[in-house]
Amino acid sequence: MKKILVVDDEENICSLYREELEEMGYEVTTVLDGSSAIAAIEKARYDLVTLDMRMKGMDGIETLRKLKEKDARLPIIISSAYEEYKNDFGSWASDAYIVKSADTAALRDTVKKILG
Amino acid sequence: MEPVERTELSILSEIGRISTSADDLHRKLQRIIEVVMRGIGKEGASVFLLDRSGKNVILEAAAGLNQEAVGKLTFPLGKGIAGWVAQQKVPLALADPYSDPRFQYVPETGIERFKSLVAAPIMDEDRCFGVIFVLSGQTWNATSSEVTVLTTTANQISGVIRNTLLFQDIEDRLARLASIYEISMALTSTLDLNQLLSLIARNTSSSLRAQGCTIHLLDLPAGDGENRDFRPKFIDDAVGGLDNLFGGRMLSSTIGEKRPLLVADTSQDIRLQDISGRHRVSIISVPLLFHDRVTGVITLYSAEHGQSFNDDDLQFLTTIASGAAVAVENAALFEREERLASDARIRAQEFSILYDVGTAMSATLNLDRLLRIILTAATMGGTGLGFNRAILLLTNERTNILQGMMGVGPTSWDEANQAWTEVAWKHKSLMEWIQTGELFASKDTAFNAIARSIRVRLEPGDSILAQTVLDKRAFNIIDAAADPRVRKDVLEMLKVNSFATVPLVAKGRAIGAILVDNLFTNRPITDHDIRFLTMFAHQAALAIDNAVIHSNMEAMNRDIRIIHEQLAQSEKMAALGTMMAEITHEIRNPLVSIGGFTRRLARKVTDPDAKKYIDIILSEVGRLERIIHDNLEYIKNVAPKFSRTPLNSVIEEVLLVYEDELRQRGIAIERELSPDAPSLDMDPQQMKQAVVNLVVNAMEAMEKGGTLTARTGPVAGSREAIMEIGDTGPGISPESMHNLFNPYYTTKVRGTGLGLAITHRIVKAHKGNIVFRNKETGGAVFAIRLPLPRE
Repeated sequence: MKKILVVDDEENICSLYREELEEMGYEVTTVLDGSSAIAAIEKARYDLVTLDMRMKGMDGIETLRKLKEKDARLPIIISSAYEEYKNDFGSWASDAYIVKSADTAALRDTVKKILG
Repeated sequence: MEPVERTELSILSEIGRISTSADDLHRKLQRIIEVVMRGIGKEGASVFLLDRSGKNVILEAAAGLNQEAVGKLTFPLGKGIAGWVAQQKVPLALADPYSDPRFQYVPETGIERFKSLVAAPIMDEDRCFGVIFVLSGQTWNATSSEVTVLTTTANQISGVIRNTLLFQDIEDRLARLASIYEISMALTSTLDLNQLLSLIARNTSSSLRAQGCTIHLLDLPAGDGENRDFRPKFIDDAVGGLDNLFGGRMLSSTIGEKRPLLVADTSQDIRLQDISGRHRVSIISVPLLFHDRVTGVITLYSAEHGQSFNDDDLQFLTTIASGAAVAVENAALFEREERLASDARIRAQEFSILYDVGTAMSATLNLDRLLRIILTAATMGGTGLGFNRAILLLTNERTNILQGMMGVGPTSWDEANQAWTEVAWKHKSLMEWIQTGELFASKDTAFNAIARSIRVRLEPGDSILAQTVLDKRAFNIIDAAADPRVRKDVLEMLKVNSFATVPLVAKGRAIGAILVDNLFTNRPITDHDIRFLTMFAHQAALAIDNAVIHSNMEAMNRDIRIIHEQLAQSEKMAALGTMMAEITHEIRNPLVSIGGFTRRLARKVTDPDAKKYIDIILSEVGRLERIIHDNLEYIKNVAPKFSRTPLNSVIEEVLLVYEDELRQRGIAIERELSPDAPSLDMDPQQMKQAVVNLVVNAMEAMEKGGTLTARTGPVAGSREAIMEIGDTGPGISPESMHNLFNPYYTTKVRGTGLGLAITHRIVKAHKGNIVFRNKETGGAVFAIRLPLPRE
């Protein structure tokens, strides 16, 4: 079973993503900040990370860089309430950039595309 | 006592009584010859006297002869009995004078009534005054004692004559002294040259019993003293002809020798014989000497049969002339000073006008008003320069063209009369006109239109107007039709043959020109006018320059204010954007939770009511998410990333996305995409967004279905391409039209109102424009025009 790490400082978002992704048949771990995310991938291997951009403590960009340092090939989907960074981060830093939406179709489609 | 002795005594005592009477010489002589005639017992007697020249004898008194001959009958010395006796100074008794060769018969006298005569010279020592005759009706052989009686009587008469002449001479001298006094008084009492000259002429003529007088004066000094002429300043009508004949000769002689000249008889004078002909005129000519300079000549004429002038007369006139010369010089000086003073007065008036105009000009910095003031000053009489019409032209340095800015003046005679009557009637000064605002009342005259249509290229030889500006000099055109420098088309417009131009020079730069004319009064424009106009133009140019600088500064201030406002606006927008981004972010997360879980809930709920409520929640969440999206789109204001993109592809891609939804809503798509539609430099993402907004707008306008038309193509005759989205909805209401592209304006129940604003902003960022119209068949069309790429 493929493992997904959901990183978001909003507990409700974490719950929503977990439920949606588990329903799709993935094993989901959620953390609420960047340092917990790094600790998590040091402890276990993940197939995919969804990463919020604006978080308390270590923010998304910092977390993104550190995650890539640990594992350059780890696919990362940025999931942000901001639309305006899409062009900046969509290409170079991550594998995908989705704008958070009540309609989780974009999330599900993107995850499916990456993990198969 | 002998009878003769008694006769002699009685005659002499009678003569003694007569000589002390108050009678004049003529009357005394008349009474004396009657006494002599009766005393000697004869029927006639007469007296001839030598005239002033001493060359003729004239019949002065007669008894028994025709009285008409008195004062007329003359004999030259040596001619006739009278002439012979006067010359020989010896008595003569002729019993039969008619047979004597010396006798000359003059029928007018009535001498034929007498048979014999005795004549005796009237002697005073050696000097002969004349001749006395006693005439007898019977043949009379006079005795020697009778001749002696007559000779004694003649001696007595000579005393009478001498006394009388002496008295007359004194009287004459007194009269002349009085005359000299009168003239000198007059000379100091008047400074009017013409009055002075006529006074001199009148007094000298009457004092010297002349027929008339002429006075020539040297021209008033005008600059250097060279090439000055003597001009006639005063000519008595009576002697005009004589002056024509003799004046020149007398003048050149008098001026040349600086000495008085006396001609007793022109026919006898060798200097004038050649031109005198049969004229026997006496002339005195005296120079007016001032500081040993001849400043003029007085010439007196005594005509035929008049008294000829003598040395006394010459002396008298010379005395008068010396005083007259000073007076004439004074009068001439006074006249010159008067002229200078009058020049100064004019100058002062001009300065006063310039001052008034200057004050008026400084009353405004508004260029249009200033030009009106300048041109009104140029055309106003009284406190203005008083030209009929005036045009002001300014140079455009960028286009190198002299452009007519304004014209003030009437277009026709009627208008001229009306305007000037009105102005004269109101008696207003320029300042009053300005203060009442009357000056600036609408004056869209035909002449102003003509003035504004004048355009002249600023190139040498193009026209007199261009030349005025290029050479910075004034021109006074007298005959424009014959002047090759005047452009015929301008002439045609102005319909005037004489005009003047002056440059407007401010700080050494020619900023324009003023053209003036006197079309209606035809008053010639003088050099003096031009000088004054030039001074005026100088002042006007400075005022215009100031106004232009002021107006430039105002424009600059306005620009700065706009930039300032824009800056403030964009700062506000930036702050707003940051805030909006924060807010939307904070709202979006809970929305995602609400919406996300509600969707999950929807899958688990079967109760139809609950499903309905869930749908409402989801739809509202969707709406909120859309609002957030649109706000962010509008705020982020990203600069377009240009790439060459086919116009048709933009529309095709948008339609592809919306095809299904449109079909579901019962909306047909009509494609009119031209194969000639070009590729343009654009940000394809942004432009697609712009088109999406139009398509969504159209879709929402057609709630009950319809047709969406998409059209592209080049724009004929323009470097633009067009892209249109049309619908068959209700069209745009008039009240919406103004606000259509304003952000947050919406007529829709659902929607953020940002769609068209975003489209508008994107199109502007692409240097294009967007317009809309309502179709006659119903529905609206939005058209985006975009510029073609630069080659």
